[in-house]
Amino acid sequence: MLVIRPVQEADLEDLFAMAQSAGKGLTSLPADRDLLRRKIEQARETFEQRCAPEAGLYLFALEDTEKKKAVGISGIQGRVGLDEVFYNYRLSVTVNASKELGVHVRTPTLHLSNDMTDTSEICSLLLSDDYRGGGNGLLLSRCRFMYLGEFRKYFSEKIFAEMRGVSDEDGYSPLWDALGRKFFDMEFSQADLLSGLGNKSFIAELMPKYPIYLPMLPESARSVVSQVHENTAPALTMLQAEGFNFNGLVDIFDGGPVIEAFVHNIRTVRESVNRHTMITQKPVNLDIPASERVMISNCSFRDFRLTTIPADCVGLDTVSLPAAVAEALQIDAGDSVRLAPLKDKGPLSMYKKREAEPRF
Amino acid sequence: MWLVRPAQSDDLDQILNIAGAQGARLSSTLPRQKEALAQKIEHSLASCAGRSSGDEPPRFLFVLEDTDTGVLAGTAGIDARAGNGQPFYNYRQDALIHASHKLGISRHVDVLYPSHFLTDHTLLCSYAIKPELRGSDASELLSRARMLFIAEHRKWFTHRIVVEIQGVQTSNGEVPFWDSLGRHFFNMDFETADQYSGMLSKTFIAELMPPNPVYVTLLSQAAQDALGQPHSLTISNFKLLQREGFQTGCYLDIFDAGPVLEARTDSLRTIATSHRKTLHGTHEVSGDLCLVAAGEGAGFRCTLTGIAESVEGQLKVPVKAWKVLGKSAGDSVRAASL
Repeated sequence: MLVIRPVQEADLEDLFAMAQSAGKGLTSLPADRDLLRRKIEQARETFEQRCAPEAGLYLFALEDTEKKKAVGISGIQGRVGLDEVFYNYRLSVTVNASKELGVHVRTPTLHLSNDMTDTSEICSLLLSDDYRGGGNGLLLSRCRFMYLGEFRKYFSEKIFAEMRGVSDEDGYSPLWDALGRKFFDMEFSQADLLSGLGNKSFIAELMPKYPIYLPMLPESARSVVSQVHENTAPALTMLQAEGFNFNGLVDIFDGGPVIEAFVHNIRTVRESVNRHTMITQKPVNLDIPASERVMISNCSFRDFRLTTIPADCVGLDTVSLPAAVAEALQIDAGDSVRLAPLKDKGPLSMYKKREAEPRF
Repeated sequence: MWLVRPAQSDDLDQILNIAGAQGARLSSTLPRQKEALAQKIEHSLASCAGRSSGDEPPRFLFVLEDTDTGVLAGTAGIDARAGNGQPFYNYRQDALIHASHKLGISRHVDVLYPSHFLTDHTLLCSYAIKPELRGSDASELLSRARMLFIAEHRKWFTHRIVVEIQGVQTSNGEVPFWDSLGRHFFNMDFETADQYSGMLSKTFIAELMPPNPVYVTLLSQAAQDALGQPHSLTISNFKLLQREGFQTGCYLDIFDAGPVLEARTDSLRTIATSHRKTLHGTHEVSGDLCLVAAGEGAGFRCTLTGIAESVEGQLKVPVKAWKVLGKSAGDSVRAASL
């Protein structure tokens, strides 16, 4: 069984191996054992409520319970920009117009901004190669929205994600080469690595503060502003289906877009429902396609657990679970659980809600 | 003889010819349109007569005339207040240090800031001369006669004086700085923009110019190389002005990034070293070639002649030059060595 749970100290080696095989481009999880250990510690403090929920780092591991192995990770940063300064460029338009001359010129312009300060960010998604497909990527990403929906008060109203921008196999980023590099004599891959190690705001302080007029940059750089890396395109599509949209901000290094959504508009949050648990003795076939599965989670802040079950387990008021699933979710009969479809247009949309039933 | 005098209404056609023969850059201060030019001459005459009003500060236009033929060979102007009552635009080249203690890095970053600082400084402008006379004594006369005019009418002008030098333009008419910066915002070629800046109010510059500072490192290499560099055709004039006491500072032309030269008006060599002398006659044309100027306002004349100076401060000037200056023995003139 694959279960989502808060990350634990024992996950360190599994995480390190995953980060190593992921290579360049995963800024928020570099293959650095000390850094990963610190992140896990921070996540433990968060789940054990030893720090303010806003300052927390919520890292979730996907565990293969048979192998007792972490095979994926994803996270929520409680707030960004509280300790350090969080920078983006805002892609906006400057219009210069002269009636006298009949000239009206629109110039795309990058303005340095700290607009995402004090906003929650979803981050750090990584899935082991052996577990790709079968909805595992979706599960790893969407489990965060189940948690957000349950503990909305601890997060900002708006959630954002920074999407990886365009760079080639050798780690060259056209925007970095045309802009950042001119102010900071360093390869993109090195700058990226440094920012993953927590130096991003230091680098940002060396970057240009005045607006950058895009026509002054070469076409190669202009064309990648607000574009995602081809490997990130599926993640973008998934988050767009979830209700996220480009908010006009881009990464100051590689120009990757920032996408955001209000928590109450996130599809998983909107479509999730609560049910009471019933433990069933009937055998349930858990090995079914992703499209017929739904996510189910407990309501625990500290011991959050989430897994998937067949949609036909879900009834009007209750959900029928095999004992093994209930155990994995750390719930007993009668406990409240949260349910949401795993895939777009999933089976939960067929649920009849009580209010919608015809009256006699 | 060569004579510099204020432009008259009937000089119009000849001045148009001179303006037409010049490169693009001149049009910002010497319009090629007949009406605009006629207006400029009118304004100059009014300024010479002390009739210019407050919202239209004095502007002067002079011509270089060959008195033997009556043919004009050049023009030169003074705007008593740069911008003429409107903002006068420049870029100020400045630097920022981008430093990070934590990363052990310190970078010097060049920035161009839009500036109006030179507004209302006295401006030398509209300098144009027939190509065959570039670098000649006549060209020096044309340029420096303005200093003598200022010396004679000092109260009309300010303490600081500036002059814009044409910047780099390739032989096929491309202006690297414009192509890298201004073109994106004005959406027109350099020549068009330059002509507009002569013809129209300067409002269009405020409307179209990027309002924020510009990072030099983001300009094309050709544009970066052109910053503060004079056009090759202006080198002789550039050097003349440097000998006169002008210095390059941090200001650049907003269109072509040509240098803006600055000086204290009273420190200019011609103004500081010229003296009023009493005119006396001689029939010999001998002695050192000097600039000799006389007359006020529209009657201002300046010529180039050999003179001899007596110990009593009398200036012996060939009689032929008297006529050109419109003065006679005993009148006061101002002389400066070439």
